[in-house]
Amino acid sequence: MLSMHILRMRDAAYARRGETIVAPTSLDLGPGDRLTHVAANAREARGLAMLAAGLARATAGSVSIGEYDPRVQPAHCKRIAAFVAHDPLPLSQIDTAHYIAYRAALWDIDPDDARVRAQALLERLAPMHEAFAFPIAAALVPSPHLLVLDRPQAAFVPQILAAAAGCAVLVVRAEERG
Amino acid sequence: MSPRAAVAIVSERLRAERRAVAFACAGAAIAGYVQSHAFTFAAPMFFCSTIGIALALLQGPGRHPYLDTSERSAPLFGRELARAKALAPAMSATLVTLVYWGAQSASGSAMPPTHFILALACVLASTLVALNATILSGAARDATIVLAALTIVVAFALATSGERAGAAAELIFCALSGFFALRQYGESLARYDPL
Repeated sequence: MLSMHILRMRDAAYARRGETIVAPTSLDLGPGDRLTHVAANAREARGLAMLAAGLARATAGSVSIGEYDPRVQPAHCKRIAAFVAHDPLPLSQIDTAHYIAYRAALWDIDPDDARVRAQALLERLAPMHEAFAFPIAAALVPSPHLLVLDRPQAAFVPQILAAAAGCAVLVVRAEERG
Repeated sequence: MSPRAAVAIVSERLRAERRAVAFACAGAAIAGYVQSHAFTFAAPMFFCSTIGIALALLQGPGRHPYLDTSERSAPLFGRELARAKALAPAMSATLVTLVYWGAQSASGSAMPPTHFILALACVLASTLVALNATILSGAARDATIVLAALTIVVAFALATSGERAGAAAELIFCALSGFFALRQYGESLARYDPL
């Protein structure tokens, strides 16, 4: 049973060797909520998205995903949160059908179910280029409660939000490029 | 971790590095065929282990970001992921050693099966030790690569130190080195911070 909050960050920050990569951030996301957070730069945006998805651990403050702490129960957090990286899928290295089957295997989802769900999601994401649409579809196939998008293409955010109906979505954007 | 997830990780990693594995096998075939008859044991041990170390280092983050992101996002524990990720370079290194042995046989100077097993144990141990370097940086990374190279030297010294006792000592040393290296890799992956 999930708590009222899907994602709760309290002064969550990330620093390495004295350098602050993610400044202290507090935010709350409930089931189905949508939130756009603007980070100072691309590096901070990536870091914050990774903290919110439980892929990295905050060096200060706290992050909880559902009822779990990514520092203690990372695998539980990853069953709740899905992360979509900024970079597109390199279609020259992996074909799209194979990619969905690979992701389904990692999440232990029936490959036929995954293919059908991915197809339905891709139809909703139709105007997007495959290289951007497939990672989003693959992230949504396991039916996560939280979708974290690291600097998605602004023009396609409405389609992504429509495809992720019922799922809390955190969009992390960067104020400046680089 | 389900067997399906493990197979998916291993097969994707092998597929992503198929060119490197093919080049390594081609190199092993040439080296095995043209090697001096005086070094039928030392040459495969050092050559194939070095190739194993190189193949292990290719598993580091950054070469295939979509695989790194997928593996990191999946609900898997560090130890489980480490076992699956270690299988890919271990299988590649085993294939390289087999190709080397095959080429030796074709040139009429193949090492006996017992020597092949000793060489393979050394290749696997050094590959697993080197795997730890992929998630380290700076001096720690360099020290781990040196440790992997030392594993080859110690394994060879043990294997050539006596008949049965030397072989047994080498196999025990390689089994222990490989076990602790894999365990350490799992711990490191669990603590690994992609930022």
